[in-house]
Amino acid sequence: MTVLTGILIGLASGIVFGFVLEKSRVFEPGIIVGQMQLRSFIMLKVFLAAVITGLLVLAVMHGVYGVKLSLKPLVWQADIIGGLVLGAGIALAGACPGTSLAQIGAGYRDAIFVVIGGIAGAITYGYFDAGITAFFAEKGAKVTFDSLVGLPFWMVAVGLAAVLAVFLVVLERMVPWRGEIGADVDGVLPLEETAETGRVGKGAQRA
Amino acid sequence: MPSLTDKAWSPYFAGVIIGLLQIPTFLLMGTALGASSSFVTVGAHLASIVDPGVAQIKYFASHMAGAKNWWQVAIVVGIAVGAFISMSLSGARRQAVSAVWARATGQTSLAARAPIAFVAGFLMLFGARIAGGCTSGHGISGMAQLSVGSTVAVAAMFAGGMLVANLFFKRV
Repeated sequence: MTVLTGILIGLASGIVFGFVLEKSRVFEPGIIVGQMQLRSFIMLKVFLAAVITGLLVLAVMHGVYGVKLSLKPLVWQADIIGGLVLGAGIALAGACPGTSLAQIGAGYRDAIFVVIGGIAGAITYGYFDAGITAFFAEKGAKVTFDSLVGLPFWMVAVGLAAVLAVFLVVLERMVPWRGEIGADVDGVLPLEETAETGRVGKGAQRA
Repeated sequence: MPSLTDKAWSPYFAGVIIGLLQIPTFLLMGTALGASSSFVTVGAHLASIVDPGVAQIKYFASHMAGAKNWWQVAIVVGIAVGAFISMSLSGARRQAVSAVWARATGQTSLAARAPIAFVAGFLMLFGARIAGGCTSGHGISGMAQLSVGSTVAVAAMFAGGMLVANLFFKRV
């Protein structure tokens, strides 16, 4: 494939991706920070709906038609330490690497500094990559849950999709998404005074 | 029915569309959706302007050329364009700084947010590159492939995010 073809496919997918990130409001700092404080669940809802759909898509594509997966190796230390650092950055940014670009598109200016910081972080990692991977000294195998339980991929994928779907139905019953969006569609809900805890967001009282 | 001019869609409808993007991605590109390695591609080319030795470093070199690397750069550029189009259609243009920061950290100005945003971005990508993926590559894509490593990474991401958001921020 030529680089130009790759760019055109990427642009087309990216525009759809960015469009729905904006429509779902999951790119909002108020919704991402709210998720990390367990006061908003929009991020989890979008995330799990995407995972469920991906599971079903791959149950057919990989499970039935044998399309090859694109797995990352299980490297315990790197996955945990890298994940913790990334998570800390997500909370401070109110964005993740993909949604920071959606924030710029929608008008948030601080996201420009998130992206510049991200490029600086990626460059810095690149210089230390050899040292860091040598330090962890993990070989890493591509481990999947279906191989662990010894069942076909499609069966575990459909089963997990069903469990996650039931979880989302229950979650939506408890916390309807329309109540989490906020008047300015940024996930920031009115504050209410309570005697015991001081100022508490609406999400906390409903939950 | 959701309309293109709506300010907000159901998170489930949006999530399903994101999941369906795996179809063209696997069929045309032979890989899964991701975002964070594009920062390495852009960063490596920027660094090579001042440091010609960059292309000799294996990690950078493997991210600098080829359709897959530039495909992912196009994805993240497309995300900004797509969000801009959606915002323009609905009129939900955002302020310079989200109102949530006034609550979480007391910051209301861009000048106060900028240094923290830079550090946040740095941590995000440094961590993502250690783990080998972000909320897209490990999260949306890895978990859909039943990857154990990706599930571990996603659990760590939420743990790190919850720690920081609860220890350092006021309730939003």
